[in-house]
Amino acid sequence: EDAERVNSADVAVVEDRRRILQEWLAWRESVEADVAEERAELGLPIDPIAELLKAKTAELGPDEEEKIIE
Amino acid sequence: MRPILLSGHERALTQIKYNRDGDLIFSVSKDQQICVWFAHNGERLGTYHGHVGAIWTVDVDPTSTIIASGSADNTIRLWDIKTGKNLKTWEFPTAVKRVEFNEDGTRLLGVTEKRMGHLGTIVVLDITVDVDAEQNDEKALTIVCDESKATVAGWSYLSKYIIAGHEDGSISQYDGKTGDLIYNIPIHELNMAITDLQWSPDRTYFITASKDKTSKLITAHDLEVLKTYVADTPLNSATITTKKDFVVLGGGQAAMDVTRTSARQGKFEARFYHKIFEDEIGRVRGHFGPLNTVAADPTGKGYASGGEDGYVRVHQFDKGYFDFMYEVERERQNRLG
Repeated sequence: EDAERVNSADVAVVEDRRRILQEWLAWRESVEADVAEERAELGLPIDPIAELLKAKTAELGPDEEEKIIE
Repeated sequence: MRPILLSGHERALTQIKYNRDGDLIFSVSKDQQICVWFAHNGERLGTYHGHVGAIWTVDVDPTSTIIASGSADNTIRLWDIKTGKNLKTWEFPTAVKRVEFNEDGTRLLGVTEKRMGHLGTIVVLDITVDVDAEQNDEKALTIVCDESKATVAGWSYLSKYIIAGHEDGSISQYDGKTGDLIYNIPIHELNMAITDLQWSPDRTYFITASKDKTSKLITAHDLEVLKTYVADTPLNSATITTKKDFVVLGGGQAAMDVTRTSARQGKFEARFYHKIFEDEIGRVRGHFGPLNTVAADPTGKGYASGGEDGYVRVHQFDKGYFDFMYEVERERQNRLG
C-alpha cells in the first residue's frame, strides 16, 4: 500500500513536470514567432549579429585572411 | 569539471563577460585592471590600462571589436580589444556601475551612481563599432531614476526596452528610444537591492539576482515573473546557460556580515538550478569568499565565476553535465528522435 502511495506521488510529480515543460516550450514558441514577426516588419534580419559578423569579415578583406607561412 | 584558476587580479572581481564566440573572457576588478583571457586555457592575453578607480563593469560588443568599461573614476571608456588602446572616455559626475551594449552594438547604456546632489541615472551613448571612428561626445538619452536608483540595467530584444533593476528591489521597463518609464514593478523583497540582470540569448527574458536570496526569470515585454530560484544566501549574480536549461547563481555573505552562530564554511558556491523546473541540481565549490559575478559561455561549453577573493574560476562542463536530464526531458527528446 505504501509503495503504491509513493508510486502515485511520483506519477503526480512527473505529470506536473510534463505540464511545466509543455508550458515553457509553448511560451517560447509564441515569443519566438512574435519577435520574428516584429523583426520582419522592421525589415531586420532574424539574427542581427550574424549579419554584423558577415560585414566585419567582408571588411577585413583578403589581405587579412589567414595565411600559412612556411 | 576541473576549473582553470585565473590569478591576475589583486582585488575583488566585479564583473566577468564572455565574448559571443565564447573564446575570450573579460574580467574587471576593484584593482583598476581590465583583463582579457583565453577561455580554453586561461592564458592572459592582455590588460587595458587607463582607469584610476575600481572598475565595476565591462561589456563586449557583439562582433568582439571593442569593449566598454565603467569605473569609480566616474568614466565610461571604450577600448580596442586587439591593441588595448583607449578609444574614448566619457566623464560623469558619479561612478559608473553598469554598462551594456544593445544587440547590434550601436548603443551603450551606462548606470551612474547616486550621490549627494546627484540622482542615479541611466545614460545612453551612440556607438560606432569601428576602432578608427570618431565617437560621439553627447549622450543620446538620460533617464533619471528619482524614486530608487538603478543598480543594473540592460537592453531587450530589438533595443525596444531598457530594463533596470533598482536598489529598492523593483524592476523598471523604459522605452528604449524615448527613455519614458512604462512600468515599475516590485519584484524582489522591498529594499533588497537587485544585484544583477543578465539576458537570455535572444533578449526576450532575463534573470535577476537579489540580496533577498532569490533569483527570478522575467519577461522583457510585460515583466511577468516566469520562475523563481530560492537560495539560502544573498545573491550577487545570476546567469542563464545555453544548450542546457540551467541557471547559475552566485553569492554568499561577506565574512563581516556573518554572525558567529550562523557562520558556515563552504557557502561560497556557484549554485545550479534547472531553469524550467526551478529545482537546485548542484553546487560548485572553490572560492574563498562571496561570488560577485557569474557568466555563462554563450556557446554552452562552460561558465566562469569571479570572487571577492580576487580569483576568476573558469569551468568547462563535462559529459555528466550534458547528459543530465529530467525524465520528462528525456521523454521529449526520444519522441523528437
